[in-house]
Amino acid sequence: MTVTSEAKVISTRPHHTLWGDAIVRLRRNKFAMAGLAFIVVLSLAAIFAPLLTHYGFAQQNLYEILQSPSWKHPLGTDQLGRDTFARLLYGARTSLAVGIFTQFIVLFIGLPVGAIAGYAGGKVDNYIMRFVDVMYAFPDILLIILLRSVLGGSIFMLFLAIGLVAWVNIARLVRGQILGLKSRDFVNAARAMGGEGSYITWRHLLPNSLGPVIVSVTFNVPRAIFTEAALSYIGIGVKVPTPSWGAMIQDGFNLIFSKPYMLLFPAIALALLMLSFTFLGDGLRDALDPKQRR
Amino acid sequence: MFRFIVRRILWLLLVLLVVMFITFILMHLVPGGPWDREKALAPKVVEALNKRYGLDQPLWQQFGNYVWGVIRGDLGTSYSWADRNVISILLQGLPKTMTLGILAFLLAQAIGIPLGVAAALKQNSGVDYFSVLFSTVFASIPGFVLGILLMIVFSVMLHWLPTSGWGSPQQLIMPVICLAALPAAQSARITRASTLEVMRQDYVRTARSKGLLENRVRIRHIFRNSLIPVVTIAGPELANLITGSFIIENLFAVPGVGRLFVQGIFARDYSLIMGGVLFYAFTIAILNLVVDIAYAAIDPRIRYD
Amino acid sequence: MKPILEVCNLSTNFHTQDGIVKAVDNVSYNIGRGETVALVGESGCGKTVSALSVLRLVAEPVGKITQGSVFFDGVDLLKLPENEMRKYRGSRISMIFQEPLTSLNPVVTIGSQIAEGLETHKQMSHHEAINEAINLLKLVGIPHPESRVNDYPHQFSGGMRQRVMIAIAIACKPELIIADEPTTAVDVTIQAQLLELIRGISKELNTSLILITHNLGIVARYAHRVFVMYAGRIVESGTSLEVYHHPDHPYTAGLLASVPRLDEPRKLRLEPIKDQPPDLISLPPGCAFEPRCGYAIDQCRKEKPDLIEISRNHFSACWVAQKGHKPWQKKSS
Repeated sequence: MTVTSEAKVISTRPHHTLWGDAIVRLRRNKFAMAGLAFIVVLSLAAIFAPLLTHYGFAQQNLYEILQSPSWKHPLGTDQLGRDTFARLLYGARTSLAVGIFTQFIVLFIGLPVGAIAGYAGGKVDNYIMRFVDVMYAFPDILLIILLRSVLGGSIFMLFLAIGLVAWVNIARLVRGQILGLKSRDFVNAARAMGGEGSYITWRHLLPNSLGPVIVSVTFNVPRAIFTEAALSYIGIGVKVPTPSWGAMIQDGFNLIFSKPYMLLFPAIALALLMLSFTFLGDGLRDALDPKQRR
Repeated sequence: MFRFIVRRILWLLLVLLVVMFITFILMHLVPGGPWDREKALAPKVVEALNKRYGLDQPLWQQFGNYVWGVIRGDLGTSYSWADRNVISILLQGLPKTMTLGILAFLLAQAIGIPLGVAAALKQNSGVDYFSVLFSTVFASIPGFVLGILLMIVFSVMLHWLPTSGWGSPQQLIMPVICLAALPAAQSARITRASTLEVMRQDYVRTARSKGLLENRVRIRHIFRNSLIPVVTIAGPELANLITGSFIIENLFAVPGVGRLFVQGIFARDYSLIMGGVLFYAFTIAILNLVVDIAYAAIDPRIRYD
Repeated sequence: MKPILEVCNLSTNFHTQDGIVKAVDNVSYNIGRGETVALVGESGCGKTVSALSVLRLVAEPVGKITQGSVFFDGVDLLKLPENEMRKYRGSRISMIFQEPLTSLNPVVTIGSQIAEGLETHKQMSHHEAINEAINLLKLVGIPHPESRVNDYPHQFSGGMRQRVMIAIAIACKPELIIADEPTTAVDVTIQAQLLELIRGISKELNTSLILITHNLGIVARYAHRVFVMYAGRIVESGTSLEVYHHPDHPYTAGLLASVPRLDEPRKLRLEPIKDQPPDLISLPPGCAFEPRCGYAIDQCRKEKPDLIEISRNHFSACWVAQKGHKPWQKKSS
């Protein structure tokens, strides 16, 4: 009797799991889905760029410089006669690569450091967090510029420079999550049953902090993309023939009065990509936030 | 409270020392030196220059000298600015950076807070949707992209505003808007979220159960609590505005600290870079301290001891 | 005795993601001047919402009063414009909430929180109101009220905070106080003191008191009459002694069996009511208590019982009791 009536109560509502629920809610969010769609389309376009344009990103044609948009060059050409559409597509590769690879570095450093600080507590935690405080005292982008000068010019070093600065947020987040979860009953229960320290951390704590980490990473991606664009705009980002939206903005800047669209296309592309990631991040956060469940 | 401030200031000094140290190490790891030119200088000249600026001494001694200088209020001499004192260079850029930063901060709060409050009070109304859209769009579009779009519209197409430069009020408009966009979005977002959160609190229901006028409930019981998080982010926001403005300064050719700093990096002007980093770190730390103190003033639950 | 408050056919719904929750479903009760009545039931049974509905403090737009009337001193509160309704709150009807910690504003001194009702309703100056607040703090038993009036809620203990809540509630000498589980959040040792305080003050001011609780033991001691709620409805009502000694609803009997009673030599053991309260979104077609009831008959599964007078002034919404059987009474005595 007990079992059946309880089952009756539960079965009156659809079954909720955290992730299943989150996906349903995410799919209901039109902005997040639009953002995701733009990211997917742009990624595909970047990957299959050679199929979409027969111009190379560095292919110059000095007979066709500074052309306005036409059938031949849908978004026009730059000072060296390079096709803007092609450079935009290949530039998306740079932006997305920066956005994604920096996050690997961020997670590679941030997750273990945060987990160690949160789990070990005491002195270890104290030292790590003081170091994180010092990192916060540096203005991010200036530190990246300094690191950039030290590490040299390759694009991987750019990932590294951005990643080396951005991991502190994740570390702080994971530490906070773990401190919160540590006091919760199920972890105490696991410990009471003789679970070992690190085992408890990985088995229980990290999966529970996964949601906020995913959300944070989604918000970090556009930040890294912006950093690359800003650095390339100043002239210390990716090296010259490599197409980058930031560098394209710099190229177009001197011609703002005569050829404003040279500036406009990369600027809009950058704005749209960052907006898409923000919409997606917002959607993920709302979807994963159990507080919203009523 | 007094002890808290003293402790924080000691911590601040330590942070600045570490920041100086890290910057110092990084700068000396950078390949090349301040005397790299298109045409290499004669080794004799380089030697003489190194001697003059103390670059021939061992690194630890150079660092020690620098720190001693900082204590005496001397950030050293610029290598690229024809022997000018770094402090005087920074002081030349400072008023411009501060003017932009403070104006942008005020503009951001003047837009963000009322928008967030209005959105929360009328949840799911047109104002609310506008505020969410506003905060999402301006939180994600970088200031310098916004700057380009503004320039194309207001300078190129409409010829209303000058593209760049410094001196006239018109030249302030676009950089201030670009700088204010992000903090305005953040303030609107945080104000909205915290106001919604506070409106759900039991004590607001208590206030209503007392039969208070709605305005009194709002001002005294809702806003007083919901603006606490807005104050806590005000420090980082202002710090970001002052430190993060160098791209905007570059874009609009404003001769502020940020632009000087970037020029310093390109010229490998060690003392200028160091001075810039110190200035930024100091600004961030001081603003955070001010916020912590303001926090205690608003929220009686916070007591430092 | 002419009732000060008469709630008739009140229904309040909540709109949630999963459907409409009928938190209060066609509920009627009344309370006379100077009388103390209790609303009793498990958490989630609608007792708090029915009280909030009286003050029209149900959080809109999620919650909405869908039907009924609430007559206070002859005026239907549900028909008043918001600005008129506001004048009743705190001045003629006031409420003591369950959680004194979250119900007090953390950034306003308790003196100001007591004073602001006086400033609003009695047109007192801030200075006068603060002086009155000191008197009220003294009245509710807070030591050193002159200095504590400037303290903030976090500087008080749980029991002291609830005393502050009581001071807020009685500040304007209301005719009706609704106390929503006023002692649940405080230490057991302090509960009795607080209840005595509330009772003493309501007697002194001749205030009517609605005591919301899940503890039937409290009811017998403090309330004249009791209304037992289950799943948004009133399932039994009567004088508290009558209900306490001769429950006419198996749910009430279950509640009684699950709390220790001092008036009986020694119970063999306490018996919890089995299972959980029902899901208010999808109630069974018949009696809502039927799935948990040990005495259910076929009719209980099919039709909802109405609240019917079974003996003088004793009402029950139970098909079994209405047929004259009360097997649960035999069992408990």
